[in-house]
Amino acid sequence: MSETLLARITTFAAESNTKAVPLRKGETLVEVDQANIKIFISHLLNDLALRHLATITGLDLGQNLGITYHFIQGQETIHVRTSVPKTNPAALSIVDLIPGAILYEMEIHDMFGVTFTGNPWINRKLLLPDDWPADLPPPLLKTSKPAEIRKRLGLETAQK
Amino acid sequence: MNAEQNKPTRREETAGLIEYSTENLVPFGPIHPALKEPEYFKLILEGERIVEVIPRIGYVHRGLEKAAEMRPWVQNMYMFERTCGICSFVHSLCYGQAVEGLTMFQVPRRAKYIRLIIAELERIHSHLLWVGLMGHWAGFETLFMWVWSDREIVLDLVEAISGNRVHKSMNAFCGVRRDMPEGMEDRIIERMKHMTDRAHYYRQIIDTEETMLARTENVGNKVDQETAQKLCAVGPMARYVGLRHDVRLTDPYAAYDEVPFDIVTRNEGDVRALLRLRLDEIVVSANMISYAVEHLPEGPIRVKIPPVIPAGEHSSHCEAPRGEIFYYVRSGGGRIPERVKSRQPTLANIPIALELLKGQTLADVPVVLTAIDPCFGCMDRMSFLDTDTNRQWTWSGEQLRLYGIKHYFPERFKK
Amino acid sequence: MFEQITKWARKRSPWVFHINASSCNGCDIELVASLTPRYDIERFGAVLVPSPRHADVLVVTGTVNAQTKDLLKRVYEQIPEPKLVIALGACAASGGVFKGCYNAGQGIQDVIPVNMFIPGCPPRPEAIMYGILKLLGEVK
Repeated sequence: MSETLLARITTFAAESNTKAVPLRKGETLVEVDQANIKIFISHLLNDLALRHLATITGLDLGQNLGITYHFIQGQETIHVRTSVPKTNPAALSIVDLIPGAILYEMEIHDMFGVTFTGNPWINRKLLLPDDWPADLPPPLLKTSKPAEIRKRLGLETAQK
Repeated sequence: MNAEQNKPTRREETAGLIEYSTENLVPFGPIHPALKEPEYFKLILEGERIVEVIPRIGYVHRGLEKAAEMRPWVQNMYMFERTCGICSFVHSLCYGQAVEGLTMFQVPRRAKYIRLIIAELERIHSHLLWVGLMGHWAGFETLFMWVWSDREIVLDLVEAISGNRVHKSMNAFCGVRRDMPEGMEDRIIERMKHMTDRAHYYRQIIDTEETMLARTENVGNKVDQETAQKLCAVGPMARYVGLRHDVRLTDPYAAYDEVPFDIVTRNEGDVRALLRLRLDEIVVSANMISYAVEHLPEGPIRVKIPPVIPAGEHSSHCEAPRGEIFYYVRSGGGRIPERVKSRQPTLANIPIALELLKGQTLADVPVVLTAIDPCFGCMDRMSFLDTDTNRQWTWSGEQLRLYGIKHYFPERFKK
Repeated sequence: MFEQITKWARKRSPWVFHINASSCNGCDIELVASLTPRYDIERFGAVLVPSPRHADVLVVTGTVNAQTKDLLKRVYEQIPEPKLVIALGACAASGGVFKGCYNAGQGIQDVIPVNMFIPGCPPRPEAIMYGILKLLGEVK
């Protein structure tokens, strides 16, 4: 990561009470809380010209669900991570900043159960079947078991 | 009938770029509750014009990311390869690079060159496949037959090197599994010369042949660079509006920092620009392969690494034929991953595809949708709602294709 | 007598409907490749038809998932008798590498009866043609 970019990220992170951790050459992780996530991402887009959002990844972090935005510019990657508690998995959508994020947020909603307020398609399923049983937890949680999901979806086999 | 009908009726905007309308939204439900009707795209029309497209792409969702959390690191490489039958090598390459970055091992130089050669052969086969399909969807069946015949040249080379035409399984962590066979270099160079000639020939055809011109010139909603960027478009969908987005250039991996090449961009902004772009990329790839084969360094092709991957997180991205592919891996220090995230290029290009379809006619849908180079089966089933007449119907890909051809060339269907 | 003629006609010109039941597309592309001049399955009279109602043979690729399971059943029911089903590729036969995935079946024979399995990941166009023709009794 170029010195200026890392320095600027670190400065802004300190100002907004967040932490920037260099992972290795060209890769930095910044942890931002939900209150500051949209300001931080606006800063990346407008002030630091980090325009390309590669994707958004969901994570099961035990008590919380992590939402990681991966921004890439040239040879530099910034992972911006925010998290929401499993007891209230509601996050803010960034589709007003980056419209292309609409499907990435839908995917996390399908896989982890996070709702993104402000995403107009958040009530539609992207990858899961429309009739996914309402009482069946999202599949990518560590507690979800594929064998049980297959049974509920009617995909069990009669063969050995 | 369900609660969807009680939503507000005004059009709502999201940054002015993705609109959705809840006017007269008749719920698309199964006719019988027990019978599912999985369409892969729902298109809402006003008369002949598309006003909204709703993607439903779960028909191929199998749950690979979850399965990856239960399998050893190396097995996942060959599972993720089978995410897609067209760009399988670059999936395993990207996953491999993401995992390699967590270790302290380096990939030998010869392996990087072989990875580049296979990746570019895959790009050529993928672009040829697409050009052929464009011919098929546009109603130019001869082009499809000729292009797919030429594609066999590339598949023969791939098979001679790796043993398989499709799922090459050439990658391993920190290397490749097979070396370049004896005597392949001359054969590859000769075949790439031939491939370049064929690409130039097809380039001529799409610039002059009536069917292709009618179906692709000025077809597709024009988007500007700002829009393409905000919609997270990748690969050819970014380059065809002039953005210099190519991971091989901006963040070289494998041997792309040593093998020179020119990035291909265009700025006409229609489907024909995409045809020209991908055909030009075939020529660029053929040159890269010849260069790489002539400069293939000596040395080992692989460094064996232990089955336990150190704890940490890392991401990698590559330029797949359809655009940027992205992998993120997270290790807890064990023999199986904690998390693997795989983002295919087609997913990143769906928002721009929806934008390209706006205002287009029904007859142009197959060509415009194919223009983003979607997954092969994406066009198999689509449902339509015409808000002018409230008519709903579902078509197979073939029915939609025939509708488009009949619309443009009605004389073909006269008795 | 009429039955014998239609049986002979069906063998000479199998009308094939292809359905992708959550496949990676590898098998689908090799199937389509068998139409191209190098392999040219059409010289054996095999034709891909746009609707199941016109088909004699159903070729299925992919390991069935929740979204395609009912669709596969319904397509199978739409094909008029007598019909034959070919499971193309490792996924259609057993789930392939996706065995254990939460939205993947373990072969299409859990959903519809199968007459012929063509193994491979993906099977070559020659293997596909061999399988189709063997099923029809053209190859001994």
